[in-house]
Amino acid sequence: MKTPPVKSINTVAKRFVGRSDLALQRKSIRESLVSLAGLIGKPVRYQGGKEIGRLVDVVVRHGEDSYPPVSGLIVKVGQSKSFIDGARIAKLTQNEIQLSTAKVDLTEFTRREGESLLDADVLDHQIVDVNGLRVVRSSDLYLAPLDREIRVVGVDISFKAFIRRIFPGALGRGPVPKHVIDWANVASLAHGTGVVKSNESRAALGQLRPADLADLIEDLAGRERNALIEMLDPELAADALEEMEDEELQGLLRGLSAQRSAELISRMEPDEGAEVLRDLDDDHRESIFMEMDISVAKQLRKLVEFDETLAGGIMTSHMLITHEDDTVASALALLVEHKSRDISDGVVVVDAKGKLLDHIQIIELIAAKPAAKLSSLMGPPYPTSVNLNTRLDEVIDEFANNRGSSIIVVDEKNKPVGRILADDLVDALAPTSDTQGFAQGSGAL
Amino acid sequence: MASKSMMSPKKIRIAAFLAVMGPGLIAGLSDNDPAGITTYSVLGADYGYQLLWVLVASMLALIVLHDLGARIGVVTRQGMIGLIRQKYGARSGTLSAGALILANIGTMTAEFAGIAAAGQLFGLSKYISVPVAALAVSFLVLRNSFSTVEKVFFIVSAGFIAYIIAGFMAGPDWGAAAKGVLIPTIPFTQEAIFIATATIGTTLAPWGLAFIQSYAVDKRLTKDDLKLLRVDVWTGSLLTGVIGFFVVVTCAATLHKQGIHINDAADAAKALEPLAGTMAKELFAFGLIGCALLAASILPLSTAYSVSDLTGRPAALDDNLKEAPLFYFTFGFITVLSATLILIPGAPLITILVVTQVLNAILLLPLLIYMYGISKDERLMGEFVATSTMKTIYLIIIAVVGVAISCMLWFTII
Repeated sequence: MKTPPVKSINTVAKRFVGRSDLALQRKSIRESLVSLAGLIGKPVRYQGGKEIGRLVDVVVRHGEDSYPPVSGLIVKVGQSKSFIDGARIAKLTQNEIQLSTAKVDLTEFTRREGESLLDADVLDHQIVDVNGLRVVRSSDLYLAPLDREIRVVGVDISFKAFIRRIFPGALGRGPVPKHVIDWANVASLAHGTGVVKSNESRAALGQLRPADLADLIEDLAGRERNALIEMLDPELAADALEEMEDEELQGLLRGLSAQRSAELISRMEPDEGAEVLRDLDDDHRESIFMEMDISVAKQLRKLVEFDETLAGGIMTSHMLITHEDDTVASALALLVEHKSRDISDGVVVVDAKGKLLDHIQIIELIAAKPAAKLSSLMGPPYPTSVNLNTRLDEVIDEFANNRGSSIIVVDEKNKPVGRILADDLVDALAPTSDTQGFAQGSGAL
Repeated sequence: MASKSMMSPKKIRIAAFLAVMGPGLIAGLSDNDPAGITTYSVLGADYGYQLLWVLVASMLALIVLHDLGARIGVVTRQGMIGLIRQKYGARSGTLSAGALILANIGTMTAEFAGIAAAGQLFGLSKYISVPVAALAVSFLVLRNSFSTVEKVFFIVSAGFIAYIIAGFMAGPDWGAAAKGVLIPTIPFTQEAIFIATATIGTTLAPWGLAFIQSYAVDKRLTKDDLKLLRVDVWTGSLLTGVIGFFVVVTCAATLHKQGIHINDAADAAKALEPLAGTMAKELFAFGLIGCALLAASILPLSTAYSVSDLTGRPAALDDNLKEAPLFYFTFGFITVLSATLILIPGAPLITILVVTQVLNAILLLPLLIYMYGISKDERLMGEFVATSTMKTIYLIIIAVVGVAISCMLWFTII
């Protein structure tokens, strides 16, 4: 399949529609689905058929599997709740669970790392439907034997499945496979000690555009939201955070550990990262700086101190600096190395003393001979440059006069210290609220 | 961001408050709906200044509960019904939502009844005033963005000033009013206990509690905003109390003095005319339309939030019809059904209103208990979990409401 240049929601959907290795695509699994909502309250029996107690909850273990296996049962025996190891299950049907032994050790249940309770933590909770790109509530969960273990294979989000749970008895407990979403397409963000995640859903989330992901994050509740952030690739999470509104972002950072916050902010564009940090209170900001790489922290500290109404406060310090004696080939290699960054539209050229000479566009580099020196490409139009202390309105004037997509910021010795891109200006000018749709697609200049 | 740092610190504070303001103010003021104004009017006309303290007590409970509701919304980012489904199961969630929908349809009918009555005071037929109001409310919510809708709510709320003006025009006995506020006494009669309970019930409306939580979620307020949100909740609840106070005082100074008994707020407006001048009637009627319109906008909205929340479907004023069909369908359904009920000749309105009042009362108690359960759930509330002092306060309110509701049900059924 050819990959289109922009990965849209549709490509994610197609990716799954065309797949044949999903559990629910198999007829044998579709026919052996057991509804979790219908199973709760049913008897759990010893090998001989004697009842131990009634099922209270099902514990699953999250690992690298797409379909989390059942690791145990919580059973109400008399007045107390006991835990039974999942390995003892011989047969699990819609109406009862039978164990493989005639005797079990009943132990008290304690939550363990990497496990969650399907009824208490997942059912009726918010989950992310990666395919439909939305936050929904799970109405029912489906279990089925797969790879020698009983696993969660699907989730039903339909209103029908929800309604039938309200009625007493076993009224229409049977699952309708066409309404069931394969578990691999769901990012469930269960509470508790572990995060429900699967490689499939993680991969699917990785296909989303940062702006869509930001919307999803904003739609989620606190715990679920942190869980989603934790399971995302940091690079992608950082991109999504850049798309979020300032207030949302600050609230979110308070919920995350300083370590994770530092990790994410370091991966954001420096000017965006600095803007976020600037709005945090001093102690919080310090705690995040403490967790950062020293050089990154130093750079961000500098940016944070700049006034936001001056060029230094809105610039990004990330740019590619080359020497006038460097070759075109090495400049291009540098660009390729930083291709994931938005700023790879060209390189800044400095002289032996580090003073600004020119900014060379990537197209000029491509057109030139690889062995040529950068100095041979220099010439008008020279880039517009401003001081660190140039006021925002003057920066805007410069942009308006030159119609360029960026301006270079230099210090008092004319050494380049950062760049202001058109989208940085947009961010600086846009009012603090109502910027949602506005910020989307920034950096795509 | 840039514009923010150019403002003085004081301006920043005001701007920040204006951005957060809304849930407390709107949810509080919409509790002063026609049913509320009627209750306050009867309270003042029948008992003068004596029962003003009941109003103050309801207001204090309103502050505490709206503060809790808003906090739950901000911290969990979920509406009340969704949380009940998540924490207490599908049946509890559905039962709560079902009762809320029924009660809201009845309450919405009462709001339209208020509009019809106020319209008639200005000589307007209900066949004109009710459809126009229903269309206006739907158009407002369906066709505009969240911020526009909110602004209109604020403007409509300003109509409540009419009651304050009417209060001053009536020339009340301020000393007696102060005594009524500060010294709790009650004649131990069935009627007095009934009206006192009705006052608590009309102030602490289930749909108001559900609304403030969902609205805080829809407004995307964050934990940072909680301090300012508290200011908003206090302002809203205090204003609600102040307006109620002036309605009671107006009726106490005029109707009670003359021994005139009234049945509803429109009655009160008519009776006021010879006592406090023509303008008092107009002001009272104008205030009635304002409060009915505000509540008539909030009720379908509150219902729509709750239904979407129960089913886990999108619910936001900024979503469009295609993105959130269930949300807008519920809104339309509630509005059309209630308006129709009012317009059908011979519809059993009194029965609908009484059943609604009972349903709201029955629903309030479990909702408060669920809210209490959520407030002390650390997995949901995190660092904002209720302290033991707060838990005690919640329990006291639940107990008082429980007793009041039991009395009310007793009297309604007997």
